[in-house]
Amino acid sequence: MAVNRWLATGNYFTSYRDEQRIFATHLNRLFFFAFLCCLFVWPLLFEVSNKYMLVIDNILIAIVAIIGLNLLTGFAGLISIGHAAFVGVGAYCLASFARVIGDEHILITHAWPVMIILSGLLGAVFGAFVGLPALRLKHLYLAIATLSFQMIFEWTINSMTFFNQGQTISVGRVFWFTGQVMRADHYVFWYYVVLTVIIICWFMASNLLRTRYGRSLIAVRDNDRAADAMGMHPGLTKVYAFALGGFFAGVAGALHAYLYRGVGIESFTLHHSISYLAMAIVGGLGTLNGSFWGPLAIRTLDLQVDNLAEKAGHIFSANLSLATALRPLAFGLVIVLFLMFEPRGIANWWRIVKSYTKLWPFKY
Amino acid sequence: MSYFLQLVVSGIVVGSIYALSALGFVLIYKSSRVINLAHGQIIASGCFITYALNVWVGIPIYLAFVLSLIITFFLAMGVERLFLRRLIGEPIISVIMVTIGLMSILDGIIYLTPFGAENFSFPEFLPTTPIMMGDVSISWTQLVGVIITALLIGGFSWFFKKTTIGIAKRAVADDQLAAMSIGVSVPKVFGLAWATAGLTAAAAGGIIGNITGLNFDTLHAVGITVFPVVILGGLDSILGAVVAGIIMGLIQQFAGGYLDGNWGLNSTAEVLPYIILLIILLIKPHGLFGTHEIERV
Repeated sequence: MAVNRWLATGNYFTSYRDEQRIFATHLNRLFFFAFLCCLFVWPLLFEVSNKYMLVIDNILIAIVAIIGLNLLTGFAGLISIGHAAFVGVGAYCLASFARVIGDEHILITHAWPVMIILSGLLGAVFGAFVGLPALRLKHLYLAIATLSFQMIFEWTINSMTFFNQGQTISVGRVFWFTGQVMRADHYVFWYYVVLTVIIICWFMASNLLRTRYGRSLIAVRDNDRAADAMGMHPGLTKVYAFALGGFFAGVAGALHAYLYRGVGIESFTLHHSISYLAMAIVGGLGTLNGSFWGPLAIRTLDLQVDNLAEKAGHIFSANLSLATALRPLAFGLVIVLFLMFEPRGIANWWRIVKSYTKLWPFKY
Repeated sequence: MSYFLQLVVSGIVVGSIYALSALGFVLIYKSSRVINLAHGQIIASGCFITYALNVWVGIPIYLAFVLSLIITFFLAMGVERLFLRRLIGEPIISVIMVTIGLMSILDGIIYLTPFGAENFSFPEFLPTTPIMMGDVSISWTQLVGVIITALLIGGFSWFFKKTTIGIAKRAVADDQLAAMSIGVSVPKVFGLAWATAGLTAAAAGGIIGNITGLNFDTLHAVGITVFPVVILGGLDSILGAVVAGIIMGLIQQFAGGYLDGNWGLNSTAEVLPYIILLIILLIKPHGLFGTHEIERV
């Protein structure tokens, strides 16, 4: 930002260093921090019912998982139909601790940040392990390998007594500096925690994408032979991408376990893997801000469909549950319509809106 | 020994159903390189259409079966025309996701019908006493199912070898550009591939429905078990689908018969196909009969 920016007619970068800044202008940074402040302050100003706070927490946790999936599928180009299983690995890491040392043990209730990171690391280990076939396989075959990991994961949890055969394993309430977080504050407390985690994850991911390790993901996605010629190891890069995706998923899983104060298999099924993929696609693959739009859109859609089904249920008073029918229908339609008409996702709309407001009131 | 033979027989019955289901999957993959995740839903809808025609409309079962084949033939063709045709040449993840979206839509539609929530079973139209061969028994529905499966698979093999359309399909599978240059309409072949896949799926659905009853979850699960089968057989080989289907059926039955209950294991039949799938992917990714075209990283 050496030249006088007010004289320039746009953002012209004169060095690569300039171009790679996270915030291109001071105004950008200002807006960003103002927005963050809003996110932190609004729960203090408005009273939100626990039901909606839970929905918001859910969206935020999905965002953490989707950042991982976006790195894996969007940036590294590896389709994962087993992301819910990675999330499940994180959650069940916590659950196994709860099984072994008891769910009110000091490690779980007091050292929860450590546990969350530990779950993330275990997720990364499993991610790398599942990614091992990537040393030999490409595209489709890899996607099917992740699908089979999902099925094996579900079976393992469902059949082992250690994991309570998929039934809920409870996780204790955590402590904050002010004492135990009780029911009234539970959801707001986890809102703040997850929000902080998202900000950290976002900075991690966007900084990663500015380094050689992040760029190598994109290089391998675009052309792995060229990447090979440039001195990267495509296979290892893919394994590493899986580990990254697994880490974020594991963190999301631990957060999910703490939020629900329990872990059960019903949150980590194939169905959830598919909806994670849908979130990534609707948000926009290969864009970081797409990871925020996708969960927001899909979860809001789910909520609206549920409300609609509830209303319609009063009119029809039929014995079939309208929600179970309408939810997959709306979900499928959204995926298909997005893929056909806006394959770049909501992130593309965001880009359009941004460039429009930048130029307004001029046309170009 | 008779236990073993019984497992072999039921393995072949289950396996031939897998073979028929996998056949539809392979047909689509072979000509258009699309992985169809909605296959289980198409199987289920074929089964439900047969039931609706038979019980609710009152058409005789064999006629209803044939009618449902025809209906799903056009249904699948319409699906290809509506959703898949636009995505020719798009990246692979878009195509996979569209079939996933399709799966959700079909799920939703099925949940709107009574089949989503309740279980039905076909009225008995064959003798209920099983046929005994020594110690081994096989029920009439299973026998008829296996025979129909064998006939259909034989018919399709003949169709691909001899008819003009079949040869056009193989040409497209081999090289799309070359096929286009000799006057084969590639989009038409894609549509036809989906249509025939729908037809085989409906046939598989009808047979499974007769053997196990109309449960959406069971029918849906067959669609996912098709993955290990096609990977084992090779994604683009019809012979592979048949052989691998029967192998998978046998493995599942043996696992259910010998592993379950021992060493604290249960329902191993559900997971074993996927473990085999992973092993196959690691050591022989193109499967038993698939073409060796996998690019190594």
